[in-house]
Amino acid sequence: MSTAGTSPNRAVAVLRYLAPKIVQFVFVIWATYTVTFLLIHLLPGDPLLAALSVKGGDATTTDPAELEILRAQYGLDGSLWEQYWGHLAQALQGDLGVSIATGQNVGDMIARALPNTAAVAILALLLGVVSSVIVTYFAYVTRWAWVRNTLLQIPPLGVAIPAFLSGLVLVSVFAFGLDLFPSSGSRSPLSIVLPAVTLALPVGAIFFQVFSAAVLEAMASPYVFTATAKGLSPRTIFLKHVLRNSLLPSITILGLLIGYLAGGTAVVETVFSRDGIGRLTVDAVLSRDSNVIQGIIIVVALVYSAVNLLVDLSYGVIDPRTRATLSGRSVARAKDEAAVEL
Amino acid sequence: MRLLRQPGIVLSALVILLTVAVMLWPTLFATHDPYEGVAVDRLQGPNGTYLFGTDHLGRDLYSRVVYGAFLSLASAGTAVLVGVVVGAVVGLLSGFVGGRVDFVIMRFVDVLIAVPSILLALIVVASLGFGPWAVALGVGLGAAGSFTRIMRSQVVRVRNEEYVEAARTLGVRWPSILFSHILPNSARPVIAYAALELGTAILAVSALSFLGFGAQPPEPEWGALVSAGRDFVSTAWWLSVIPGIVILVIVLAVNRLARAIGENR
Repeated sequence: MSTAGTSPNRAVAVLRYLAPKIVQFVFVIWATYTVTFLLIHLLPGDPLLAALSVKGGDATTTDPAELEILRAQYGLDGSLWEQYWGHLAQALQGDLGVSIATGQNVGDMIARALPNTAAVAILALLLGVVSSVIVTYFAYVTRWAWVRNTLLQIPPLGVAIPAFLSGLVLVSVFAFGLDLFPSSGSRSPLSIVLPAVTLALPVGAIFFQVFSAAVLEAMASPYVFTATAKGLSPRTIFLKHVLRNSLLPSITILGLLIGYLAGGTAVVETVFSRDGIGRLTVDAVLSRDSNVIQGIIIVVALVYSAVNLLVDLSYGVIDPRTRATLSGRSVARAKDEAAVEL
Repeated sequence: MRLLRQPGIVLSALVILLTVAVMLWPTLFATHDPYEGVAVDRLQGPNGTYLFGTDHLGRDLYSRVVYGAFLSLASAGTAVLVGVVVGAVVGLLSGFVGGRVDFVIMRFVDVLIAVPSILLALIVVASLGFGPWAVALGVGLGAAGSFTRIMRSQVVRVRNEEYVEAARTLGVRWPSILFSHILPNSARPVIAYAALELGTAILAVSALSFLGFGAQPPEPEWGALVSAGRDFVSTAWWLSVIPGIVILVIVLAVNRLARAIGENR
């Protein structure tokens, strides 16, 4: 086989593998945008009037001329068709419009909130994945059945616990009781810990379902049989053979986890009174701020689809066998299977 | 019975039976009026008279949880129903008709799945207005994408089975094939998934109520109860924690049974 990039055949093959996935990526973003737009504008109720009525006070106006000026200001004037293309053209240039509730630029609002949320989400993801690997390790290495059974009870609990319950319990114990961490806000660097732990519980539990299935499959494979026959300890077998082979298939679940995190942050950021995408979304829905809602949906869909695209591509790089068999919808399908297993 | 040897499943079934009874006949279980409080008894911890304690208006938390069961669980059930019905109809259509229709529908489903379901629910709530039923519709539509995909893959599998081909060769009409062959043979995974989705829906509905989009006070919906108790979390922990634990126990029971249904295929 020739080296990468030098052979035109290889370039064509890579392109053939990439092109449908990138087309799919662009389509999903566009369609998400369009569906959101239609949902907001076609359902009964005028978005501007709804937002103004929530705003209340002197913001409420019924003067048609004044309303027209406001409509133009927020890009809600003209026919639905004009609004759609206007917003789309703006969004393509990176301009997400102006918030009806605060008058601020939506792009700036999201840019300010995103780092806070990303920090919590990434820490939660790390904590969740690492702890579920550790739980799996001890569950499969231990000689005592009761240890295994106890450990295997944790993931179903993690899936079933409402984030507001675990968040409030953590706040009561570690912030109010022991005074180890701040109970709210996002200023101190330590304030990231409790929200991340809250989110890590379900994230780790979801990851565990897929990971432990992959571990079981790996355990039944010929190379583990050989390793056992050679007399290797269960610990060495797990660390050297099973872990590597079962972590790779578990990557597909990453997209699902990101989606879960995007929703979970709304609750967690409310419980811990943090600034972030989740809080921004909740506030936007509460004030019925259609421009902000639309902006957030686009950004979340972008991040989510980008992660799924990267997962799909990395899968092809890590495991060459999948290049031929995985289609563009592989991640989504793995997601369904994982969801059924949960 | 093999089932009876698994205490987890029996316990889960009992929890669910009890919950359904509470949901249907709250008057049999409640000990106090869920809306009227006794001012002198406000913010009492759990005790003999008030099993779960009282809130800042002296209302009995236990009776409020009992009366909240209907709204919390009925809206979660509605959400699953919306997801199953929409998913089954669209998936059946997509898989049965095939071709271009199938392609277009499935691209739309890709989009539905590409948006995190809680965001989808929020969009619906933002456009329809707040309330438990808007939340239920939103959560249901958020789940409809996965239901559609599962239903479709089942229909595509069943469509090529020999008995369907035999029926077609015999000249059976397509509605008859659809309802007497394809639907019964492809429904099982959808039902198993629906059972799992019920647990997720209970969590999603209560989370959205917690955020203030569902039932409004003084309605004793569980997520709203947790949210109302949040102001007292440092002094009266039971107000948030007990309704939260009730949700946790029920979701655990539902998920355990759902897994049992999935395994018994």
